[in-house]
Amino acid sequence: MIAAALRAVTKHFGETVALDQVDIGIEAGDTIALLGPNGAGKTTALAVLLGLRRPDEGWAEIFGVDPRQARARQAVGVTPQEAGFPPTLRVREIVDLVRAHFPCPAPTDELIERFRLETIARRQAGGLSGGERRRLSVALAFAGDPAAIFLDEPTAGLDVESRRSVWSEIDRYSADGGTVLLTTHYLEEAERLAARIVLLARGRVVAEGSPTELTSQARASGLEGAFLALTEAAT
Amino acid sequence: MRLVLLHARASTLELLRYPTFSVPTLAFPALFFLLFVAPRSDAEADPTLLLASFTGFAVLGVSFFQFGVGIAAERESPWEQFVRTLPIRVRVRFAARVLSATLFGVVSAVLVAAAALVTTDVRMTTLRWIALGIALLIGALPFAFLGIALGYWASPRSALPIANVLYLMLAFLGALWTTPRHLPGSVSAISPLVPTRQFGNVLWGAAGGHVWRPRDWFLLGVWTIVFAALGAWGYRRDEGRRYR
Repeated sequence: MIAAALRAVTKHFGETVALDQVDIGIEAGDTIALLGPNGAGKTTALAVLLGLRRPDEGWAEIFGVDPRQARARQAVGVTPQEAGFPPTLRVREIVDLVRAHFPCPAPTDELIERFRLETIARRQAGGLSGGERRRLSVALAFAGDPAAIFLDEPTAGLDVESRRSVWSEIDRYSADGGTVLLTTHYLEEAERLAARIVLLARGRVVAEGSPTELTSQARASGLEGAFLALTEAAT
Repeated sequence: MRLVLLHARASTLELLRYPTFSVPTLAFPALFFLLFVAPRSDAEADPTLLLASFTGFAVLGVSFFQFGVGIAAERESPWEQFVRTLPIRVRVRFAARVLSATLFGVVSAVLVAAAALVTTDVRMTTLRWIALGIALLIGALPFAFLGIALGYWASPRSALPIANVLYLMLAFLGALWTTPRHLPGSVSAISPLVPTRQFGNVLWGAAGGHVWRPRDWFLLGVWTIVFAALGAWGYRRDEGRRYR
């Protein structure tokens, strides 16, 4: 079963082509990393996939439903690239508000414990540090206990310990059959988490496969070498 | 329905925790009344009608500032972008905004009423108070939607000046700073054309104990549909930021 897909999606911003005939299909239960240099179109791809932006051509679907329909989004939890919250609401209030949108959400206390939010649960969001905001933002993707999670740079700005704890939460989620789509600039993270990598450059899918496949396709010694070779070839 | 209440509660809590926002916004119409209207009301105009006018002015302000300026400011925020990824329908969010603004509107109007009761010679029967409350709640709907439409069509920076101009112009043209009889001649010709005038008509009707004219409610209904459509259109076309 296809959990989420972009079908021949093209999206322009004025003169710039953000996505150019992009096809991405994510099987339910897969973990996919969307990689690419800055400005490759990763965030735009997620925005179209979530119904936040309307594609100029093509379409997006989540479990077969147009993501612009609210019910399609019941199946997805999201961590956006930028983590921001109503400054005067408390962490616990925000978690509860987000949970309320889903039919069978994860229990609040469990979320707070899993994402190490205990010490900040009563604080107002405006006073959180960058790392704390990011942890809350990642926790919110899991709040509804959805069938799929889309994480846009989930560990950007996190310290080593927090990063590892986010990784183990993603592992656990995917071991339970959850579908994961994440973007990242840390290739180690992609290699560690993702079974399949989709490489974007200049709005096009330039390579696709497991980390090993990409490495051998580029005749590189590691994923980083492959990343550089494959994105360079595309530009 | 549960989500309507939860979102309304969240936004109300959020605003209440900014006393520097909520107190001046809520108290401004009452203050205006105390400074400029109360001292000369009994001599020039019926204080009961002035009270009705200013409760309308109070509710109008909440619609423009809480909706218009508030939405425009939030629209580009990461939180707003996140909420748009949640499984929630446009109309649920609109309803929640209307609900939380209603709450602020009621408080602001109650402050005006309190100011009027203390400083002027207002006399109203319970029935008229109830009628005034109903007229305020229902009659404010078109302005709530106008505020929402403004929030989605104006950029964050332009929303405040536009809201100010619209708010003051509409209040003035609709005779919400006075009573229709005291409007300058040139203005009284335009006044019946603006939605705030119909709003005023139902308010003065309630406070003065007159029978409501169906025409006023009908027109308010038409304005509601027009502004709600404009708001929904604005929401759908809005994709957050648009820079070139």
